[in-house]
Amino acid sequence: MPKLSLAAQLDQAIQALLTRPDSVPPVESSLAPLVRIAADLRDLPREEFKARLKSELERKASMATPAVTPFREGFHSLTPYLIVEGAAKLIDFLKQAFGAEEKLRVPKPDGSIMHAEVRVGGSVIELADANTQYPPRPTNLHLYVPDADAVYHRAIAAGAISTHEPVDQPYGDREAGIRDPGGNNWYIATHKAAGPAQFIPEGLRAVTIYLHPKGAVQLIDFLKRAFNAEEAARYESPEGAIMHARVRIGDSILEMGEAHGLYQPRPTSIHFYVPDADAAYRQALAAGATSLTEPNDAPYGDRAAAVQDPQGNSWFLATYIKDVPHP
Amino acid sequence: MARGQQRSEAHEDSGRLLIEAAQRDPRRFAELYEQNFDRVYAFIARRVRNREEAEDLTSEVFHQALANLPRFEWRGVPFVAWLYRMAANAIVDRWHTTSKEQVDPRRDAEDKAALAQVEQRASLFQLVESLPPDQRRVIIQRFVDERSIREIATELGRSEGAIKQLQFRAIENLRARLGGAHA
Repeated sequence: MPKLSLAAQLDQAIQALLTRPDSVPPVESSLAPLVRIAADLRDLPREEFKARLKSELERKASMATPAVTPFREGFHSLTPYLIVEGAAKLIDFLKQAFGAEEKLRVPKPDGSIMHAEVRVGGSVIELADANTQYPPRPTNLHLYVPDADAVYHRAIAAGAISTHEPVDQPYGDREAGIRDPGGNNWYIATHKAAGPAQFIPEGLRAVTIYLHPKGAVQLIDFLKRAFNAEEAARYESPEGAIMHARVRIGDSILEMGEAHGLYQPRPTSIHFYVPDADAAYRQALAAGATSLTEPNDAPYGDRAAAVQDPQGNSWFLATYIKDVPHP
Repeated sequence: MARGQQRSEAHEDSGRLLIEAAQRDPRRFAELYEQNFDRVYAFIARRVRNREEAEDLTSEVFHQALANLPRFEWRGVPFVAWLYRMAANAIVDRWHTTSKEQVDPRRDAEDKAALAQVEQRASLFQLVESLPPDQRRVIIQRFVDERSIREIATELGRSEGAIKQLQFRAIENLRARLGGAHA
């Protein structure tokens, strides 16, 4: 029998793959990879199907009205607002240490930063240079990254001070601590319990604000009344003090643990997007907050107000009204 | 290495921005569909018996993804992993009629080797689109429409030998473009 060409031998194998896949004839070794590709090609999708499903989905999507959100693009309910001496230096640090991406920088005529926004992971951090009206307010932040050890070392190399080296915590996180050049404390963590694909625990984002109030129980109670907060988790010491709690506010989590030892209250500024800034402002005052700024239309597109909670944290209540269609 | 990492972070970030854009405006979902169709289809096709079931389930997954998109939260898990999990659950729901073998597809969604195979097939499907038109036509008629060499030859007015050559060159081309992953 004359020897078949390679193209004919390959076709014989393909014919078998398509009609009787259990008895594919042996082929020359040089053809084996091609037969494997041919086997995969049996699952090639139909182009008409792909196009039809796409137009079905487009039709369905076009019927859904775009969600008008009261948040600016990329923002969640809670965003930390860092007020520091040397905001430009801190931005450089965040880029080097955490791979932050600078999204916005609004300088003042004297070169200091009036307002800046960076993105770390999926979270936005806002920051500004301190001034007499807004003195520095260093805070605590909880940062989840894929490799806490590597980020810790990058942070130290970028000028951070170590507050604790990476350790395996009993709650399943690999965790380290640093203080950035602006004086903010960062808990740098990798969540291990859910496997390497999910280094951020369920419900959290890359960056979460962490408070150490004196009287965490009272603060949680206030947050419930003022901002409809819900308690997501609470771990108490045998004496009943809150060692760690997670409070859900809007779509975000705020973490806290009762002040102790080195971890003392650091009043924090928080940008809080709400569906209705005016209503949120009234509710907060009724719950015992102090007014800092009455609701007003800010030039950058927010309806904005500000209140202080009984622990001294400032809440910048905002509703992004620029995209909201007026009736 | 550092540059590679930066690139993958940038890629991850642009993926995340697209998801957030689609969450705000569902009309952007079409872009997510284009990016993920071949992977989802490849994932499902490995575990079901025929094309109709693969299409049915793929359709189900994307309709479900569109409906549930507002609830997707970025926690370090890629968007496609969310789709794979949805696909695995959809397959399990039809388990009794569609399974090719007794392997829980939910395990595929976590299994690196299985996912690598899915990714590779998805790349293969995309590469078919970039073949020269005559080679592409032969591949689609042969593997999707399951036509015989003779039928294709008659339709295109060429000899059976020429069609076999085109088929051979097309698959060789695919192997070269896959970069030896199938070798």
